[in-house]
Amino acid sequence: MTTPGNNTSDHQAVDHPDSRDALIARRARTLYREASQQLDPATAGRLRAARRQALDSINAKPRRAARWLIPTGAFAAVAFALVLVWQPMSHAPTITDSHTVSATDQSADVDNDLPPDADKTDPNLYQNLDFYGWLAANNASNNQPVNR
Amino acid sequence: MSSVAGSLDKDVLLDSARETPATLDAFLAQVERRAFRMAELNLRHREDAMDAVQDAMLRLVKHYREKPAAEWPPLFWGILRRRIVDLQRRRKVRSIVVGWLGGGKDDEGGELPVWEPADRSPGPLDRLHDSKSYADMAEAVKNLPQRQREAFMLRMLEGLDVAETARSMGCSEGSVKTHLSRAMHHLRDQLEDWR
Repeated sequence: MTTPGNNTSDHQAVDHPDSRDALIARRARTLYREASQQLDPATAGRLRAARRQALDSINAKPRRAARWLIPTGAFAAVAFALVLVWQPMSHAPTITDSHTVSATDQSADVDNDLPPDADKTDPNLYQNLDFYGWLAANNASNNQPVNR
Repeated sequence: MSSVAGSLDKDVLLDSARETPATLDAFLAQVERRAFRMAELNLRHREDAMDAVQDAMLRLVKHYREKPAAEWPPLFWGILRRRIVDLQRRRKVRSIVVGWLGGGKDDEGGELPVWEPADRSPGPLDRLHDSKSYADMAEAVKNLPQRQREAFMLRMLEGLDVAETARSMGCSEGSVKTHLSRAMHHLRDQLEDWR
């Protein structure tokens, strides 16, 4: 190893600050290089392994599928939840309407056999029940075919 | 200062380290040990230094492998410098949190290794032929302010030129010269009896 301090010319050069700086820089650099070369085997092995790993990362296939899997799955779950929430709300009136329609149809059929609902029927109907009974009977007799 | 750099450029800096290998593998093989030493000098912890070098390698390969080989040295040392700064900041935050939590002291008021055990493995300094000189130099470099230390290590120890050092440090060439001049002044005072 170079030891600047043992050199006579170095002793003379130390008097000048720039020369002293140059000696310090040169000596420090020499020691730094030696220290780098004298790493213990374990550390040197770990550095080699780290270099291999870094270089292998070039050839590693980009895991785009895995990268997109989580956000895609999360989006799908959110979309599914939205569909579940939105569908009953949007179909609710339709279902109600269909129920209403079917109920209306059924009530229309039943109306032929049952008396009208007291709450929904015109009160005048109840006041003239005899008239409407006569009218219905009269219409029925008029609609009968004359075969006699 | 310029005369120091000039004289170094003439002899010390013009060695094999100035020739950048053509392949990334060869380049990393050339700088990995020095990078570890540099990180160790800054971080004073071998595991953190290993992490910093490993991360710098990964980032260089991942982001800059297509760059011309001549650009790899300033890029690599710049990445390593930023990684070192990140680790130092993280360590500082960690020490603050530990302080708030009341950790870090034993019953007698001594420091305790709260998060990580102290690095007690046989250090490389023990293996050095003249470990005393290296230890003195390392201690003096550690005592430098951050930017001066970076300028000294990149410019003087690693041998980057002023432009490469400025690029690695993310500052102007004038700032590099200023930091380096102050660093040399401090080292001259601290290493007065150093040989």
